[in-house]
Amino acid sequence: MSRRTIGLIVLLVGVVSIALTTFIVFNPEAPKSVRELGKYYIANTTRDVSSPEAVTAIVWDYRGLDTIYETVVLYMAIVGGLAISTTTRKVSLKTRTGLTSIARTGTRIIVLLIATIAFAIALHGHLTPGGGFPGGSALAITVMLIVPVYTLQSLLDQGVSSTRLIAVRGLALTALGLVAILPVIKGLEAVTNLKFYPSHVAGMLISGSLWLYNLFEFLAVASGFAAVALYLSIPEEVYREEIKGGE
Amino acid sequence: MEGFVYVLFIVVLAVNALLSIYGIVYRRSLVKKLISLTILSDTIFVSIILVGFIFKYPVVPPVYIGVSGEETYLLEHGSDPLPQALVLTGIVIGLAVNALIAFGVIQVYRLTGTTDAKRAIRVLVEEVMEE
Repeated sequence: MSRRTIGLIVLLVGVVSIALTTFIVFNPEAPKSVRELGKYYIANTTRDVSSPEAVTAIVWDYRGLDTIYETVVLYMAIVGGLAISTTTRKVSLKTRTGLTSIARTGTRIIVLLIATIAFAIALHGHLTPGGGFPGGSALAITVMLIVPVYTLQSLLDQGVSSTRLIAVRGLALTALGLVAILPVIKGLEAVTNLKFYPSHVAGMLISGSLWLYNLFEFLAVASGFAAVALYLSIPEEVYREEIKGGE
Repeated sequence: MEGFVYVLFIVVLAVNALLSIYGIVYRRSLVKKLISLTILSDTIFVSIILVGFIFKYPVVPPVYIGVSGEETYLLEHGSDPLPQALVLTGIVIGLAVNALIAFGVIQVYRLTGTTDAKRAIRVLVEEVMEE
């Protein structure tokens, strides 16, 4: 056995024995009920926000302003990352071989499924667990799947480039800011929800601005992470060279 | 038994955090530093979730589905929504910051030809001295 294996075993035994000793000596009680603040949110979410989902209600209503600033941080980080590496990008893409037709067909089906589920997660965010962030991250995965199978160049040929995705991201962020600022026109505070936006549209529950926030956040996160994925992906020529060199 | 699982959780999270801090400080490869940083942030997220978790069967997400008598059931069995909301935003911020750091590491590799922190600094210092 190598030293590393022995170290891992010692660590595991140490962790379990420390936990066991603490349990036997102090006999701590595991928490059996939620704290009072959590109970408040659970009890009042349907009345205050008209959303059955307490997490989304906190994210976009009770703590809405925090989340909007946090979206701005996300935007700045992605733009900053792209700005650092813009100058050294070399584009020399000619081949677009990709993988076999079996992989292509499989990917086509899976991408469709992922996109459908991503939309469902985002647009049902105020009713079920989920929302703009998880939905957007799920949609960005499709790009990561398409790049190795169909090659980066075929995506660029379709007009999906980092620059355009960043533009989409900027538009989505602007729309998000507008949704937050619009209530000010009527003399209400910014990020007001039910006093300005209707809770139902055509008989369907949209929980006021929650649905709009989720939609725009979905677009923003999806395009932002897709842009990063496109930028960090390696052109096919380069990795084919690497594979040949490794033999 | 729940008490033991609770303590084990806390000890494992503490050890995880210590290991990742060791990785951030002592590993020389920038990529390994980044990996340690992601492990540290994930450990912190799990510990925040642990604050709002209850050790009772069954634990349900805090979502109303429109059944009568649901409110009392959710108040007893629902998990705390506040830590979940904080972690939800934290994960996305963490992902964006990791992407930013990854871009920085790639740029360091392009400029100096290495991801070793000390060697990269030496290469950069030599370039400055030559100028």
